[in-house]
Amino acid sequence: MTPLSTALLVLLAPLGSAALIAALLPRRGAAAAAVSVLAATVVAAGALSLALGGARFSGAVEWIRFGSFSLSLGFRFDDLAALMLAIVGVIGLCVHVFSLGYMRDDPARARYFWGLSIFMFSMIGIVLADNLFMMFIFWELVGFSSYFLINHWRERTSASDAAKKAFIVNRVGDFGFILGIIVCYWENGTVSLGELGAAHAAGTLVYSRLIPLLLFCGAVGKSAQLPLQVWLPDAMEGPTPVSALIHAATMVAAGIYMLCRIEVLMVAPSLQVIAWVGTLTALYAALCAVVQRDIKKVLAYSTLSQLGYMVAAFGMGSAGAAMFHLTTHAFFKALLFLGAGSVIIGCHHEQDIFRLGGLRTRMPVTFWTFTVAVAAITGVPFLAGFYSKDAILALAYDTNPAIFALLAFTAVLTAFYMLRLWKIVFLGEPRSESAGHAHESGLSVTAPLALLAVLSAIGGQRGAYARAFGGVFSGIGEPGGATHGIVLATSLCVLAVGAAAALAFYSTDGTDSLQVRFPGVFGFLGALRASFDTAYDYYVARIQQRGALILNFVDVVGLAGVVVRGLGGAAEFVGFGLRALHTGRLSNYVYWFLFGLAVMWAYAAGVL
Amino acid sequence: MTPSLDAYVLLSSALFAVGFLGVLVRRNTLVIFMCLELMLVAATLALVAFSRFNGTGDGDVFVFFILTVAAAEVAVGLAIIVALFRTRQTIQVDRIDSLRR
Amino acid sequence: MEHLAFNCLSVFALACALGVVLSKNAVNGAMCLLLCLAAVAGLFVELHAYLLAFILVLVYAGAVVALFLFIVMLLDMQGGQPWHFRGVQAVAGLVAAALLIAGLDLIAIRGRLGAGPASPGDVGSSLELYAYPLFTTYLLPVEVIGFLLLVAMLGVIVLSRRAGEPGESK
Repeated sequence: MTPLSTALLVLLAPLGSAALIAALLPRRGAAAAAVSVLAATVVAAGALSLALGGARFSGAVEWIRFGSFSLSLGFRFDDLAALMLAIVGVIGLCVHVFSLGYMRDDPARARYFWGLSIFMFSMIGIVLADNLFMMFIFWELVGFSSYFLINHWRERTSASDAAKKAFIVNRVGDFGFILGIIVCYWENGTVSLGELGAAHAAGTLVYSRLIPLLLFCGAVGKSAQLPLQVWLPDAMEGPTPVSALIHAATMVAAGIYMLCRIEVLMVAPSLQVIAWVGTLTALYAALCAVVQRDIKKVLAYSTLSQLGYMVAAFGMGSAGAAMFHLTTHAFFKALLFLGAGSVIIGCHHEQDIFRLGGLRTRMPVTFWTFTVAVAAITGVPFLAGFYSKDAILALAYDTNPAIFALLAFTAVLTAFYMLRLWKIVFLGEPRSESAGHAHESGLSVTAPLALLAVLSAIGGQRGAYARAFGGVFSGIGEPGGATHGIVLATSLCVLAVGAAAALAFYSTDGTDSLQVRFPGVFGFLGALRASFDTAYDYYVARIQQRGALILNFVDVVGLAGVVVRGLGGAAEFVGFGLRALHTGRLSNYVYWFLFGLAVMWAYAAGVL
Repeated sequence: MTPSLDAYVLLSSALFAVGFLGVLVRRNTLVIFMCLELMLVAATLALVAFSRFNGTGDGDVFVFFILTVAAAEVAVGLAIIVALFRTRQTIQVDRIDSLRR
Repeated sequence: MEHLAFNCLSVFALACALGVVLSKNAVNGAMCLLLCLAAVAGLFVELHAYLLAFILVLVYAGAVVALFLFIVMLLDMQGGQPWHFRGVQAVAGLVAAALLIAGLDLIAIRGRLGAGPASPGDVGSSLELYAYPLFTTYLLPVEVIGFLLLVAMLGVIVLSRRAGEPGESK
């Protein structure tokens, strides 16, 4: 089986699964689940064999041609794509297996697995795409899948609202994205990544500040950077496996992936902007995470923060560091979400952390895997997150001290809120009935947790990655001696400070200590979180709605009324007038005859 | 001394106009028809005058045709009016307006 | 008084024409038409077209007007309001008639019809002068007129049938 056909199989297996579910199994949840998991297994096997087997290729087929413009569909399977495909495959399989247990009692299970299959198909399309148009097509499909899956429990209005919000905010970003694609095509005559790369190597590429920034808009929307980050916390209305797959590990990472793909188009001023957007997002999200009550919301803000890290890393010039952190983040964030999912179903859908507690003894597997994940994200040495975060901090130290300071502070906050979460959920005594009766779920839930825990632990070994995906990781420089020492010291310091502060400050008695002891700070952080939503609401309700109403008025009165019905009315009026001429009376007709005669006379006499 | 051609033409057009007036204002179909005949007679007068003043006989000969046609037309027209009367029971022109609108 | 005959006859013709138009009774109108035709016949005589004058009286006054009278008296209508010459209709009609006279005479005066050679030689009015053109130059119209008369006859026969009644004559 050639690599190209393997890639084709990997792309089409989920699509086939979705088609099968839609056609034959719309009510048979168990069968749909089995089909979908089978497809995910095929995808994971294919992805790993391609990625680790070293095959790298590209191929395209022309799809549409309008004169000199042609749109082609093709694969570009280089090291970057191989790495991303491996991540998507592995995490996808874990989430599918987890969903078997998590969604066991859900009546709309078949619809859910259909959505998951469509998502896998779209995501793999983005990974394998070899030109920006094709990527944009799958980009939109991924947005649709996200909308569909957030809206899974559609009887809840909060879920539908969140899905709409996600889609609309994404759309705003995608507008910038398509503009960027058009400008790129206009300037360079092509949007094929291979051709752009070749032009870059040959020095014939047209560089402008506008193209990368417009394309970055797509990443701002999809990866939820400031100011379009408002949709991600609300997207937690979807089922937890969906949050794990889409809103933690893969879809939101698509923005980072796309940035790495278009690395050749970047210029220094644009990179500056990108770096600062990422840094500010990281800081803002970390601040918001400190005051959250819902377990999934904490993890959502944590995701935002880590995405900010990745974007900042890219903005500082190292796509390799960004991808490294993306990989490790995928492992431990998926683990965190799946662990949260395990907690949620173990405690009968209780999501408020202040009503949990004491789960250390009651859900041991979940507890230990969650602990590994927390350690990874906070940067405990030798686990995955430690290496990738260090790489970013080293890069920041060498590039921009201000960003370094902000990212270091954000790391303190990361440790702070993660340990807060860990302590309140797992330690102490149970604070509610459901926590008291918590129990582990079956193997389908715990097996993926175990696998991901292993990956979070060992997944930071750069050497192994460099052997398999050399093209990506070559961009991460080995830090020099002094930098290495300072960064190491800084990261250990922030870990210790944040963790100790959280463990000491928060108690397990069911109240939020920050709220109790420093209500001003707590209120400020809450307002900070809500500020974006309030601003958007004001803008949409006051400004945009007024504009829309005016346009609606112009359309209804002006276009439909005056132009369309007006023209019709004018014709009707003329017809009415002409109809009045048919009196049926002889004398009237004779008068008209005379009139015609007079006109002809006047004309003949030269008067007319 | 015969009157000038202009006089005859003026008279002819005056008779024609009077006939036209009758067609416009009268409501009785038969009277309208009579006024039509009046208009025809005015035309024949003009023709004869022209023929006389140009010295040819063609105008006179033409009057023959006009007279014949007028006679035939009267016959058919009156037959129509009688048929109309049979169906409508009226010959007032302003009541015969079924082509209205 | 120059042109005494012409003036008298023309005034009389016009008066009778107005009588046709303005008379309330249709029979009165027919009678006025008769007199008008007589005046026009006189004018024909004035123009040395004696045969035509005679034919006019014979055919037109004799046959056509008589036919009119028959039909008028056949369709004797007693009901309805009597007609008056007044109102908008009258004014409009007068305006139209005036317009017509103006138009016709504009053509006549502009064309300066009267500026040709004044009364060339009298061609006389023997029958031969009428018959010869009829059977040479105007033969085609004669034949067509004959055809027209035939068609008119057939038309009258068809029209005068009542619906469903078999034809009275073939």
